Amino acid sequence: MMDAESRFRDPSSLFFQFDTIRRYIIASYWVLITLALPLWWTTTSIERLPLPTSEVYAQAQKRLEIPLAICVDSAFSSQITSLQRSIRDAASYLDVQAHLGQDCSQFPGYAVLPGERILVEDRKLYYPPSADNLASTLASLLAPKMDHRAAQYSPRFRLSFTLLNEDSSAGQAIARHIHPITSALGILHNYTIESQVQYHALLAFEPRSLSNGTVFGLTPEDLTIFINSAEWTLSSSSSNDPVFHFVLFIPSARRRPLIILNSDGTPSSSNLPDLQSSFSSFSRHLLTLLGFPRLPPSISYSSSSNTSLSSWQIDTLLRQRIHENVIQSHDTLQSTVTLVSQIDGMPVDEQVQSQVQGSLSALHELFRYASVNLTFAEMLAYSAQALTLSSKAFFHPGMLAMLYFPAEHKYAVYTPLFASAMIPLLAAALREIAAWRKERREARAVGDVREATSGDGPKVDTKSVL
Amino acid sequence: MRLLSLSLFLLFYFLLSSCDASSQHTNNWAVLVCSSRYWFNYRHMANALGMYRTVKRLGIPDSNIILMLADDAACNSRNKFAGSVYANPGRHLDLYGENIEVDYRGYEVTVENFLRLLTGRLSSSVPRSKRLLTDSSSNIFIYLTGHGGNEFLKFQDNEEVSAHDIADAFHQMYEGGRYNEIFFMVDTCQANSMYSKFYSPGILATGSSVVGENSYSHENDYDIGVAVIDSYTHYVLEYMEKVNKTSRLTMADLFTSYDVPKIGSHPGVRSDLFERPLGPGNPNHPMSEYGRGRGWTVEGGGEWMGREIEAGKNGRVLREALITDFFGGVVDVDVNNEDDAELRLFEDPECISTPKAPLSPLTDTYSSPPSSRSSSSLLNMLDTYPFLRPFLAFILLGALFVLVFSGMTSGRS
Repeated sequence: MMDAESRFRDPSSLFFQFDTIRRYIIASYWVLITLALPLWWTTTSIERLPLPTSEVYAQAQKRLEIPLAICVDSAFSSQITSLQRSIRDAASYLDVQAHLGQDCSQFPGYAVLPGERILVEDRKLYYPPSADNLASTLASLLAPKMDHRAAQYSPRFRLSFTLLNEDSSAGQAIARHIHPITSALGILHNYTIESQVQYHALLAFEPRSLSNGTVFGLTPEDLTIFINSAEWTLSSSSSNDPVFHFVLFIPSARRRPLIILNSDGTPSSSNLPDLQSSFSSFSRHLLTLLGFPRLPPSISYSSSSNTSLSSWQIDTLLRQRIHENVIQSHDTLQSTVTLVSQIDGMPVDEQVQSQVQGSLSALHELFRYASVNLTFAEMLAYSAQALTLSSKAFFHPGMLAMLYFPAEHKYAVYTPLFASAMIPLLAAALREIAAWRKERREARAVGDVREATSGDGPKVDTKSVL
Repeated sequence: MRLLSLSLFLLFYFLLSSCDASSQHTNNWAVLVCSSRYWFNYRHMANALGMYRTVKRLGIPDSNIILMLADDAACNSRNKFAGSVYANPGRHLDLYGENIEVDYRGYEVTVENFLRLLTGRLSSSVPRSKRLLTDSSSNIFIYLTGHGGNEFLKFQDNEEVSAHDIADAFHQMYEGGRYNEIFFMVDTCQANSMYSKFYSPGILATGSSVVGENSYSHENDYDIGVAVIDSYTHYVLEYMEKVNKTSRLTMADLFTSYDVPKIGSHPGVRSDLFERPLGPGNPNHPMSEYGRGRGWTVEGGGEWMGREIEAGKNGRVLREALITDFFGGVVDVDVNNEDDAELRLFEDPECISTPKAPLSPLTDTYSSPPSSRSSSSLLNMLDTYPFLRPFLAFILLGALFVLVFSGMTSGRS
């Protein structure tokens, strides 16, 4: 019989154990886990901001139409429809508006006027009315095929002139020959010009000697390995702009004259006498690399300025570049949104999103105002901005997809960590719930028994029954 | 003194775009990766350096080669022949030499850098020599060597790149117009699994051993103290010694030169994504003999994905794939007449620019279920319902834990 006043607690009861405190402890673990779940979710998910996918696809369907107004003198009235058709066939991105006019020489756009010889001056074309090739001549002036050697458009180019051997007059030659071109084409690109002189630049092979060792020649096979890129350091790696290399090689004194041979061994006619003409050929090469269209052979150019670049050609190059840039931007934007939707593990952060949106808005501006009197320079600026932004978005360093792990690997790594922590908690919680329900059932049963047998027998301490 | 200068119109198409004619490439690049470090993996570094030397000899300049070596074998303190790396026991040829440019060295060779290099997603501070500056008319030769397994390659002994990652990277390159064609060669254990997940067009792949098979080293050098070259790479390099810059040997010639008893493992080829034929379309197509020599398994011949469609390729007008399409440097030389009066309109009628083919949305990328190979019904079900495998794994592991813990709890009360 237990004495309620005894100083000693009854060892048969678990006096050190309080159910409620134990239950609070277990519940606190669970509350903490539940509160931590959102934090775990946010720290393990990648940022994938939404991209304007449908806008990109809609934009990619649009085709740019650059307006082109031509005033045709009444002497050519019969050929005006064939003119429009042939230009349209040559380049679908030109929206040709040709109209007959009495006084075309005052027209600010392009004008076709009668003249004695075929002549191009500023934006006017003089054509003899008797000749019948007006349509094809105009088409080749306004929309020629792009040279396949032309470089891809970039807003900035580096021109690197390397003189292999010693000479001090290279600087003036650059000023005289190259600067006119870069200033005329300055609206298209920004140019950075650098030059270097290298001594002791050896060839990697021996040129063939002809006529008793007095003349040396380079065969076409030698030409393919002429640039000794292992020994000659031609490129500077300090910037990411595309580079054009212009190399002038002066052979050593023992091997002069050094000429280029045709494939049958005879000297070709393309050998140069001196330094000045080398720079004029450099300027010609630069024009080809920039994609500058040549005048059709039948046209002679009457230069009112002292450069040999007519406005027709510059305008044509501008239009071609604008058209190319728009197509390239469309492609790049489409590729970007397609990749993001295909590869689920690829994050898209705020910069990428803003770059895509910036590119789209530049394209929108261009399309909206192209037919409403934008100058070529402005159109090119919009198209260049669209191209640059779309390219930056596609090649953004943050768009690196998460590595792939098979699902079995992920479970195999996480289960020993999480399961060994979660299973005891789960077991403890289930055990407590089972115990609590059992207590409640027994308390109810004892209460019923007590009501049934009220008033007889000593009270039974329910706790000690357990 | 009168000086006679020479001016040539040599154009190097490193950054020029050409028209999108399918087999027209204007420049070649090479990415050579040795992914394992430590002295006992000397042979992997020798593999990569051997390939480097071959690629340079055949004309690709250093500016177009990205060489990634995860460790330095030449200047290793255990190297008895300091500053040299040899690939044969007689030490006839020093691969390290004097004229070598390693772009990624040591700890820079990581999975992240490799994938960033391929996809072009490098930060703007990375110099040009560490970038893959390819365009849509570049052919790229990608060579991986190291330790690998079923669909993975180990980098630096602490991380892996999986075949799915490389496949996704190639697809991103395809979308970004960063290659015309890729030739992918891998020399590791179970190497053929590395190219099994590709899904972008224009890729030709070959590996050194089938799934479940190891690739072996070729020879040991008893003075250096380690194996110096791997078998597959040794025989490929030996074959490439016959190739020079002007040779017309085709890819089919390279693949049919595989000799299984010598190599010690069964190489494989994947050409179903590659649209050009591997060899000339004569009646006795060289590839018809592929995999039927001695040493190959009897049924089906050597492992070659794309065998069925190879015959269909010969009917088209595409040029066959030459070894120099990937291994040679491409230089187009134009010698101009320097005459002012003759400015011609440059018209190249066969160079018609066509837009890139419209994209067909791919529904399954790397989560596509593999074709079922086994006859067991449970494995078949696992293959057709891919979620079953992790589900079953979870159930089994969870049941195991519950069993253990319930045993412990029931023991207590």
